[in-house]
Amino acid sequence: MRTGPVHPIRNVRYLRPQKEWKEIIAIYLYLAGMGAGSFVIGILIHWGTLIPWAGIKLDPSFLPSIDLFGYALNLSGVPILWGPIMVAIGAPFLILDLGIKWRFIYACLNPRTSWVARGFIILSIFIILGLGLLAKSLLPFKWLHAESVLWRIPEIIAFAFAFGTAIYTGILLKATRSIPLWNTNLLPLLFLVSALSTGSMAIILSTLGTGLFSHDTEALRVLMRGEQMLVVIEGIVLYLFLSRRYRAAEQGKDSVRLLLFGEMKLMFWGGIVLLGFVFPVILENITSFFPGNAALIFAAGILLLCGGFFLRLGVLHAGIKDQIPMHRLMEIQYNVMAEKTKALAGERLKNPN
Amino acid sequence: MLLALSGYCGRLEMQEQEKVLVVDHRKCTGCRLCELVCSVFHTGSSNPSRSRVKVVKWEDVGFYLPMACNHCEQAYCVEVCPTKACHREPENNNRVTIDKKLCIGCRTCIIACPFGHPFFDIQERITVKCDYCDGDPQCVRFCDVKAISFTDVDKTNMAKKREAFLKYAESMKQVR
Repeated sequence: MRTGPVHPIRNVRYLRPQKEWKEIIAIYLYLAGMGAGSFVIGILIHWGTLIPWAGIKLDPSFLPSIDLFGYALNLSGVPILWGPIMVAIGAPFLILDLGIKWRFIYACLNPRTSWVARGFIILSIFIILGLGLLAKSLLPFKWLHAESVLWRIPEIIAFAFAFGTAIYTGILLKATRSIPLWNTNLLPLLFLVSALSTGSMAIILSTLGTGLFSHDTEALRVLMRGEQMLVVIEGIVLYLFLSRRYRAAEQGKDSVRLLLFGEMKLMFWGGIVLLGFVFPVILENITSFFPGNAALIFAAGILLLCGGFFLRLGVLHAGIKDQIPMHRLMEIQYNVMAEKTKALAGERLKNPN
Repeated sequence: MLLALSGYCGRLEMQEQEKVLVVDHRKCTGCRLCELVCSVFHTGSSNPSRSRVKVVKWEDVGFYLPMACNHCEQAYCVEVCPTKACHREPENNNRVTIDKKLCIGCRTCIIACPFGHPFFDIQERITVKCDYCDGDPQCVRFCDVKAISFTDVDKTNMAKKREAFLKYAESMKQVR
């Protein structure tokens, strides 16, 4: 095993991941992804309830209605359509991270080339449409609940923008280009799958207390099975992402090493692997032996949601920038100088006088 | 014909006017006077942390490199800027500059720049970068050893230098 001193220039490089985007951006990416993912799953459930052969049934009778200004609000849609609220809570975190916060409205001025601007537009449309659909499910007016094909149009548009929001969180990082860890198509895919898995788990959690699925355990089982499949797919994509980045560039290799074996190993192995993958899968499998055990599902869900957050935080924190040409020159010069010093020391040993 | 000639002369004039900052790292002593004068010119305070030029030091090998914006041909900072605050000004030495009134301080340009150049000004809460001091770079004016110069693009032969450097780097890689 090599015991010599670590190359100082390379060693310094390990410790210099980007410091511009930190926890606030991770929270934003997480809430946007999870909210959009849960809306995608929620809309799919909602459409499934409209198709008789899909076998998905919801029993809104378990849910209480709230009286507001004399109107009885219908809460049956809330547990599956609350995703836009999460995205609306997450978006201000991006504003919080800005240098001059009140100028956030300028962020849509360059959609032609900037993904931040495109994201601003995608998120805004999704929040407005999603909240509109949520309000539609809440409000008691009969004309709103008439099942018409026309209502499918805003739902399909909102679904598309929810999908766009989930995938955009990865594209935002990819588009910066200078960080090899992020500069891959696998990152948007990883964030999309993570958004869907955390989103579906969030839907399961939100329906647990409501009893929306309790009379129909088959629907819950299908949802759980789908969620487990998403976790497995997420694990495979994470493995592919890390292995490809390890071979992509020197800084990609450094980023992966920083995550797996460096300062961030606790976050990766503890936060991402154990909390996000291993514990939820084990708990969910145990749950299959004890059907209806809400505590186990709840524990698995909370751990999985924490894992989703750590995934984004880890990917953000491990981003190391590409090497500038001068840095490369420095390494070459350093090696040449080190060789010369070694040769000089050898000569002195041979000829002490 | 006259119009075409005037157009040609215009282009020639623009080419003559286009200048870039050229750094000779062998001359730099790492005194960081350039950082000081840059911050005084742009912010009114002698605070090198607010400078638009940064001297990167490798003390181990005695190497100092004043890093200023390269005003890249394909500038990533311009591409990723969501507000068009970061833009190119062909009429001013083809420089890439940041409009203070439009910058929101999102720092996307800092992440996108491969040279780590735009800097976040903590006091102004926006991103700042080299703008050639509106045609009279103070770092060039005050550099005693003339490590930084403001030279015509044609004279720098940047492409040839880059090619030679890449060949050199490649050959060194093979030696290693």
